[in-house]
Amino acid sequence: MLTRRPTFHRFGPLLAAGLSRLRGIPPHPTLRATFSPRGRRENETPAIIPFSPAGRRCRQADEGGTPRQITLLLATGLLLATSLPAAAQEGGAPVLPELTDEVVTGIMTRAVDDVIRPGYRTFQASAGALAETTAAFCKAPSEDGRKAVDDAFRQAVTDWGHIEIVRIGPVIEDNRFERILFYPDRKGTGLKQVQALLQKQDEADTKAETMGSKSVAIQGFGAIEFALYGTGAETLMTAPETFRCRYAAAVASHIETTAGQLVAAWDAPDGVQRDWKHPGPQNPVFRTGKEAMTALLGILVHGAEAVRDQRVETFYRHGGIARPKSAAFWRSENTWTSIDANLEGLQTLFDKSGMEELIDPSIASVNGNIDFILKSLRRVVPTIDTTMEKAVSTPEEQQKINFVLVNTRELILAFDGGYGGAIGLGSGFSFSDGD
Amino acid sequence: MAATGRHSALVDRRAFLRMAGAAWVATLGAGESFALTRTDAVFASGYRDSDGRFGIAVLAEDGTVIDRTPLPARSHGMAFSPATGHLVAFARRPGTFALVIDRTGKAAPVTIAATEDRHFFGHGCFSPDGRVLYASENDFDANRGVIGLYDARDGYRRIDEYSTYGIGTHDLSVSDDGSLLIAANGGIETHPDFGRTKLNLDHMEPSLALIDAATGALIERHTLPQKLRQLSTRHIDLDDRGRIWFACQYEGPRNDLPPLVGHFGKGEDLTFLSLPEETTIGLANYVGAIAVNRREGLVGLTSPNGGRFVVLDAGTGSVLREESVIDAAGIAAAPQGFAVSSYGGRFAGHRADVSWDQHIAGLTPHR
Repeated sequence: MLTRRPTFHRFGPLLAAGLSRLRGIPPHPTLRATFSPRGRRENETPAIIPFSPAGRRCRQADEGGTPRQITLLLATGLLLATSLPAAAQEGGAPVLPELTDEVVTGIMTRAVDDVIRPGYRTFQASAGALAETTAAFCKAPSEDGRKAVDDAFRQAVTDWGHIEIVRIGPVIEDNRFERILFYPDRKGTGLKQVQALLQKQDEADTKAETMGSKSVAIQGFGAIEFALYGTGAETLMTAPETFRCRYAAAVASHIETTAGQLVAAWDAPDGVQRDWKHPGPQNPVFRTGKEAMTALLGILVHGAEAVRDQRVETFYRHGGIARPKSAAFWRSENTWTSIDANLEGLQTLFDKSGMEELIDPSIASVNGNIDFILKSLRRVVPTIDTTMEKAVSTPEEQQKINFVLVNTRELILAFDGGYGGAIGLGSGFSFSDGD
Repeated sequence: MAATGRHSALVDRRAFLRMAGAAWVATLGAGESFALTRTDAVFASGYRDSDGRFGIAVLAEDGTVIDRTPLPARSHGMAFSPATGHLVAFARRPGTFALVIDRTGKAAPVTIAATEDRHFFGHGCFSPDGRVLYASENDFDANRGVIGLYDARDGYRRIDEYSTYGIGTHDLSVSDDGSLLIAANGGIETHPDFGRTKLNLDHMEPSLALIDAATGALIERHTLPQKLRQLSTRHIDLDDRGRIWFACQYEGPRNDLPPLVGHFGKGEDLTFLSLPEETTIGLANYVGAIAVNRREGLVGLTSPNGGRFVVLDAGTGSVLREESVIDAAGIAAAPQGFAVSSYGGRFAGHRADVSWDQHIAGLTPHR
């Protein structure tokens, strides 16, 4: 029999103290008594009641997006989170779902057919549109043409961001992920190679069909972004068919080709999609339904980790030295576009796969918590200054970035310990990732 | 399974108490002190508590937590020196800290920061005299494993670096006489810029290397046959004959049934155990930890993926015991058999409100 006892919220005391210092708001006494996601114990049902469904009311306090409102949101969310665990206690111990073949196949099929495959198809289309738009701009540079390129680039970044969260399967074969986006590039390898390439002006570098045999650093978004937005990009407007422009178009075309390979790999009926949908003893990817569900949850956990660890902390750590020019897509001012797309991708996968249906109704707050955090993040991220120098140096913007750091950590825990524990995947302490 | 003498257990505990010192014992609460007086063995393990905080705990044989030390982030393996009482917790890869705790209470904890362009791989060991700490590290820009040497008598100053003659180095051990270092090169390329992402699963290079502890020279290196190139050799322990037992994690197709355990001695080829198919399936192609109980001639394995705990006869390689342990994590030799932990907080017969990490270190000389 589960013994429920209040434990300290992970961030309760910390945030209460922090908020008090920030805004003079006294810590609410109930911050001390709440539940926190915990790992499942053997022969024991999970005690995972981080947020009650009523916690969704917090959204109403979040519409403005100003720093003060963000702070209040944080505090309000915690207060609601701390005051409602009892609701989930009324119905007795939550039931772990039975991961039958039918259940797992249903979820994996939705994940593959409704999220992953459409995601790659959409990305392929937007990469193709970027290639066409860029090629047209190269032929006859104009202000309108330039705007069309900017729009197409932003759309391609967005569509990649949606599906980028999938870091397993065909995308990690043959260095496809790095071919599409070589990041982080701590030592500026890609920049140096692209600068040298633009200096050398070898016509062979404008051929998309041979680009795959060259360094991955000159094949993807980092390369085309520098060509379109980096130092010297103003020359794109000076004459038709410049080398730089044609190189940019070739990179876009190559990205489309790589995206097409991913579409083909996932569309093959007897390939990876079959392995994902039908776990079994002879399956080369997932031997059991539990393994498949662990991998699917792993996409969410690792996707959230990547947003925090690779996309934000690469250029901004609270109290550390900011490096705005280390941010992905800083030149085109699409850093937050990309991060928002990642978050939307996580939300889409969680919602459309039907993962939330596995949660026992008595702890539906596990889903509510994830939904709440994602929506909170997606309200704030698009409001952050797109000029990264300003974003990391303005107190108001810094506070928003801190909010993103705190809440992406919460999101990781909500997926990992919260959801993982609630469906019987252990505490998610180690996602079979080799240690 | 052979019984273990009560006398030797008492000696173990007394030895630990002598080493730990009265100062440390005096800091314990009544319950913890009582647990310490009753236990025949003392262990340490990394943990994550229910508030998401990380630390390292000292435990009694029955799983009672005696003492906790907070850590700034998640740890992985540990190194313990019976000679000095120093216990080191290594950050999980690609972590950049190792915390040295003086179990005698004579010195304050020491934090070792990874040197520039290196990060810890999560394991290490002490020279038998406790003077040198060896840490498995990643020279990530050159994509090669290295061993960092730290002087325990000089505040753990980094004094030298050896190659491991492989990539993706994970576990590291030392022979009883201190002359040989044994490196388990998992063969998987990682880079801190990409977190824990495995960058070369289609061209892995696993190997096991014996290295001269005095000079860093390669003595012998064992690569794996082509058909096992995706078998990551990750954890090792030594038996009473000095044979090296190694445990693996397979990155190839999930419906393959590769050998997961083997052993070798200096100058010998690798010998892989042919475990029963149901045992291999139970281990889910992933052995998370291995330990040798020298007194009883046993080899223990745990698999969190398979939720399995397996005991082998070190002499014959046969399976003596197989048990389901959900989220089985660490394993260490105990006075009788093995101490096994789980991510779910289980340690022996006790459950704590923590997730135990992947490894357990024995702090009493009973292996």
